[in-house]
Amino acid sequence: MTLTRRTFLAAAGGAAGLATLGTAGCASPTTANPGALTLWYSKDGLSTNVVDDAIGRFADDKFRVSIIGDGLKHRLLAAMSGNAYVPDIAMLGDDIASYFQDSDQFVDLNTLGAADVKDEYLPWKWQAGTSPSGFMMGFPIDIGPSALYYRHDLFKQAGFPSEPDDVATVVSTWDAYFEFGVELQKALPGRYLITDTKTVFTYSMAQLPQKYFDRQDSYIGDGPHVREAWDRALDAYRRGLTAGYAGSQNPGDSVDRHAAWNTGKELSFVNASWITGELKQSAPGTAGKWRVCRSPGGAGNQGGSFLSITKNCPRPQAAFDIIAWLLSPENQARTFLDAGLFPSSPSAFTDPRLLEPEPFFGGQVTMNVFGKSASDVKPAYFSPYDIAISDTYTDELTNVELVGKDPGQAWNDARRTVTRLLQRKGVI
Amino acid sequence: MAVTDAVDTVDAPTAPAALPPSAARRRRWRYLPYYLAISPFFILFAIFGAYPIFYSLFLALHRWDGVGPKQWVGLENFAFLFTDDTFWNSILTTLVIWVMSTIPMTVLAILIALGLNSSIRFQGLYRVAYFVPNVTSVVAASLVFSSIFSGEFGILNWLLGLVGVDPVQWLSNPWGIKIAISAMIIWRWVGYNAIIFLAGLQAIPGDVYEAAKVDGAGPFRTFFSVTLPLLRPVLLFSVVMSAIGGLQIFTESQVLVGNRGGPDEAGLTMVLYFYNEAFINNDFGYGAAISWGIFLVVVIFAIINWRLIQRPRRDTPKGVS
Repeated sequence: MTLTRRTFLAAAGGAAGLATLGTAGCASPTTANPGALTLWYSKDGLSTNVVDDAIGRFADDKFRVSIIGDGLKHRLLAAMSGNAYVPDIAMLGDDIASYFQDSDQFVDLNTLGAADVKDEYLPWKWQAGTSPSGFMMGFPIDIGPSALYYRHDLFKQAGFPSEPDDVATVVSTWDAYFEFGVELQKALPGRYLITDTKTVFTYSMAQLPQKYFDRQDSYIGDGPHVREAWDRALDAYRRGLTAGYAGSQNPGDSVDRHAAWNTGKELSFVNASWITGELKQSAPGTAGKWRVCRSPGGAGNQGGSFLSITKNCPRPQAAFDIIAWLLSPENQARTFLDAGLFPSSPSAFTDPRLLEPEPFFGGQVTMNVFGKSASDVKPAYFSPYDIAISDTYTDELTNVELVGKDPGQAWNDARRTVTRLLQRKGVI
Repeated sequence: MAVTDAVDTVDAPTAPAALPPSAARRRRWRYLPYYLAISPFFILFAIFGAYPIFYSLFLALHRWDGVGPKQWVGLENFAFLFTDDTFWNSILTTLVIWVMSTIPMTVLAILIALGLNSSIRFQGLYRVAYFVPNVTSVVAASLVFSSIFSGEFGILNWLLGLVGVDPVQWLSNPWGIKIAISAMIIWRWVGYNAIIFLAGLQAIPGDVYEAAKVDGAGPFRTFFSVTLPLLRPVLLFSVVMSAIGGLQIFTESQVLVGNRGGPDEAGLTMVLYFYNEAFINNDFGYGAAISWGIFLVVVIFAIINWRLIQRPRRDTPKGVS
């Protein structure tokens, strides 16, 4: 058929008419795939092997998945506020508390029998997925227990304690760690034991049983514990222990820090377990030279995700069964082996496959260190505003560390910014 | 044909008031095809342009986390905005980066355009090569740039080391960050502007240059008294375009120093601050208020630009026209 103006107009008119009929005929569906159960998760947020098995196993429930590259949160918010194409099962990040005030968008997992498996998961992680009013929004996926990563070879070469148990004993508190760092730097000048002031502040806060709000949502961030973490970070800076790499504010993006791993300039650092993959990938030449031990100041957690069921899900019980299977202790162990996501189920810590010696850590069984750390984390309430508040403090610490801002001024500015932020949000 | 008839009617309108009401209605219907023909733009603009604009004004008067109920707060968000040091700093940062990138970029682009305009070999190849950065993914480029400006092993510090200069921690120093972001913008836009200037240069008639030569003008005199004045409209276009782009600097900052804008908020531009509040902190009401703050800044610049263009041309090139 030749395309004349007449046929083109007729075709265009027909298409427009059909489109109008189509939209009038059925409104946008509220779930992503009507009739199916759809899971949205972010790239590397679950093990693809386990997910593939689940698709086969729950074929009768028409279980489907979408891997969202970037901006899962934005897409979820857009779908929820438009009440259309909402996934039945959605992954939520460690900012899960920011959804608590919108719990009417989700299904309380306690109504689906979550309590029956509660004992199989870490209590503090279970609590983090539950709102202060007892609404269970998120089922635990992974966690990020912290540890001290250090260069065994360089510690040894300098004549310092180098075996994990010995190092852990010597650096049991932050103060002891700083003392140790000062001495070690005398033996190995030009090298650093702490990434930046942000690390000290963040992991000090992570070790505490209380953060910025209590579970009644009243602000406790003006208590002495925040000031203590701040002063500790400044102490590390004043003693010249922090390297202060540019871009380390963006975990994973600091090319300088990767370079420091390779050259041995970074002798040690405190971090959550998820850095292991990045360390192996960025500094393959240092394989066998690293060890991990208990972090100075004790156990803490950074990061971790959850799976939730949204309110329009037509078959919440079936969706819950899928979640419970995906995140069962056995599958969490598999997920750790496949994707490096640290299990939130303590029984996985004793899985023999996870207790293999690791060549990258010189044959050390790191699960023993991280598993202990994970079990020792103190339950703390993580409020919807914690990330913004913490970022404000660490921004000002960075200003002191890299730009030379007066510490007193930085503290006052941080306090003022936090107060203004909370006033704007109508919290205080 | 019907179309010609209709056009004739449009060309010779008569006062509608003189017609009986039914005829006026019929006349209005006769224009319908024209309104239909131009309607797609207006329909799309209403949905994707006008509606979001007015909705953002509505949002700016609320506190909203993106999902739950919107809470009316009146002008509170704006009261915060005008006392928000971070917002004022972000305006300054944006302008500083804009100036630091636009001036060197324009000078470079003119030089490149002059080079490309002279009779050299492989002209087409050079033109394509200079345009390539403009279509390269910014995120990919940022990886290269963060390696160039890296304090630990960056190429730039290595080059400085060769001439005996101590390494600079580019990406942790507030001015270093601004330089790195500007460098990235220059790299990305210099080729695009050079092509525009090249088109402008080729539009200058050759006899003008001949006249200048006859009058005994050297190459510099010719450039400053002939080429540059005749290039003025193109130059203005390029400055206006770069102002539009410069006020929206976002990606370069975000990929080089992150959402928080880096130490001392050195890379926190207006749009990055807006993005951070709305999409990272989930504060869509305040985000909308910031976007209206940005709008006001853009309006001020639009007025300045308009005044620049409207200015009567006092400096008509001497001895040319």
